[in-house]
Amino acid sequence: MTRPAGFRVLRRHAAGAGLMLALAVAWEVAAASLQIRSLPPVENVARALWRILSGPDLGEHVLPSLARAVAGFLIGTHLGALAGLAIGVIRGVEPWLRPLLEFGRSLPAPAVLPAALLVLGPTPAMRVTLIAVGCAFPVILNAIDGARRVDPLMLDTARSFSLRPAEVLRRVILPAALPQILAGARTAVSIALIMMVISELIAATSGVGVLLFQSQRLFRAADTYAVVLLLGLIGWLLAQLFVRLERQAIGWQAGWRGAADA
Amino acid sequence: MPEPAVILAAEALRKSFLAAGGSRPVIDGLGFAQRSGEFLAIVGPSGCGKTTLLRLLAGLAMPDGGRVLHQSAAASGPAAWISVVFQDYHRSLFPWLTVARNVGFGLRRLERNEQGRRIAAALGAVGLDGFADHYPWQLSGGMQQRVALARAIACRPALLMLDEPFASVDAQTRLNLQDLLMRIWSELRISALLVTHDIDEAVLMADRVLVLTARPARLAAEIEVDLPRPREQLATREHPRFLALRHRIFDLVRGAVGGGQSDRAEAGPGPAQNFNREGESDER
Repeated sequence: MTRPAGFRVLRRHAAGAGLMLALAVAWEVAAASLQIRSLPPVENVARALWRILSGPDLGEHVLPSLARAVAGFLIGTHLGALAGLAIGVIRGVEPWLRPLLEFGRSLPAPAVLPAALLVLGPTPAMRVTLIAVGCAFPVILNAIDGARRVDPLMLDTARSFSLRPAEVLRRVILPAALPQILAGARTAVSIALIMMVISELIAATSGVGVLLFQSQRLFRAADTYAVVLLLGLIGWLLAQLFVRLERQAIGWQAGWRGAADA
Repeated sequence: MPEPAVILAAEALRKSFLAAGGSRPVIDGLGFAQRSGEFLAIVGPSGCGKTTLLRLLAGLAMPDGGRVLHQSAAASGPAAWISVVFQDYHRSLFPWLTVARNVGFGLRRLERNEQGRRIAAALGAVGLDGFADHYPWQLSGGMQQRVALARAIACRPALLMLDEPFASVDAQTRLNLQDLLMRIWSELRISALLVTHDIDEAVLMADRVLVLTARPARLAAEIEVDLPRPREQLATREHPRFLALRHRIFDLVRGAVGGGQSDRAEAGPGPAQNFNREGESDER
């Protein structure tokens, strides 16, 4: 059983990698034949990427950016989950907050940047806050929904064991809502990266965003593409990491669902 | 000879639910008392409000009128010495916990070693040793209901409440679970309150059967089941007394349905809908 399955996985990966390779070759051919400044050869881009990852840029720009993104993501998703569960559990609160939440969610993040700059100044705290706020919204809305949808029979079961409300929240509502909370957090992973770059648009001296705009202003096309490539890689890695974590935390869900459908 | 203590009692219980066109009474002036150690069964036509009654008795819901007495004190919430087994194990067992952790769910105040001992003992009692590390959804329906039973007895309750516990499993499994429940009840010397619509099941297991009327539920009759113990699936079911009792209760339940006919005619739904569980789905 395992060999054919493994083979299928391998073939699927090979197909994906093959297409990417083909695109790289097409780029290389185009760059060689067109000879224009905005389309550097692939090897220059690769070299630029390597320079960023092995040189001072890593510690000066890439890692601080990542640290802010991760901090903002963790703060935003945790506070979002907490607030969402609270709103979902406490009756009568939601009608008051729903319009505010919907409004906040539909507000384009770049529009908030100048205001955040006014209030908090060009500080790392401002950038982390911006990332956290962006990450909080999808989690809040999903957590409200998740808390609402906990099976009443599960709540009855928990209460029949004389659990206090706080224990019901921690031992039943949180685990029951976790799949939905994590689905919101998965959206928040990409939002964190978007907000990270946006937060470095104005008045920033360090960060991947700074690297990106500096290289563009200096017409260093290879560097610009290298940073774009780097952002894609970071996003892909974080998504992979998140899927691992999700499988750990809510692996039970797939089996439970399968059993319910059977 | 002194009267045995009363473990659970209901006095003039009333409960209504809001429905289209005003409030609809579900339970209307129900009263009874359960003796300590007694196996009591409550039967009634489907949809007569049995689940609502059980939630009131367990302290999971509050009555609109009358009161529930837990060991002669007015109940204000769930009691630690009462365990409840619900019909729908798929929704009552926690899918994110293993079998062992489900069984240990009510034991959090105990020391770890003691928790482990209780979990092992409860799983042994229901014949599920070796399944501790499975998840409930990896087990068959009958085994899942055994997990729910193990979880209930792991707390060492004085009273075990069961809401249609065997209604969602196949016939063969039901017989096995009935035997298991009777064995657990007699070995642990606890009280049991079984809510069911299965008349045979009630007569087979109980010391006394309370028959409810159709909605709104009132007490239609109380029947002592004077069959010898231990009860057995074949011998007891073939006992002339068993047949007489089931006949009588069958007539009472039928009569209860007939008596409620006019109410339901006003309520609207056709006869086919009167026997489904529509009434019990809108209770939460």
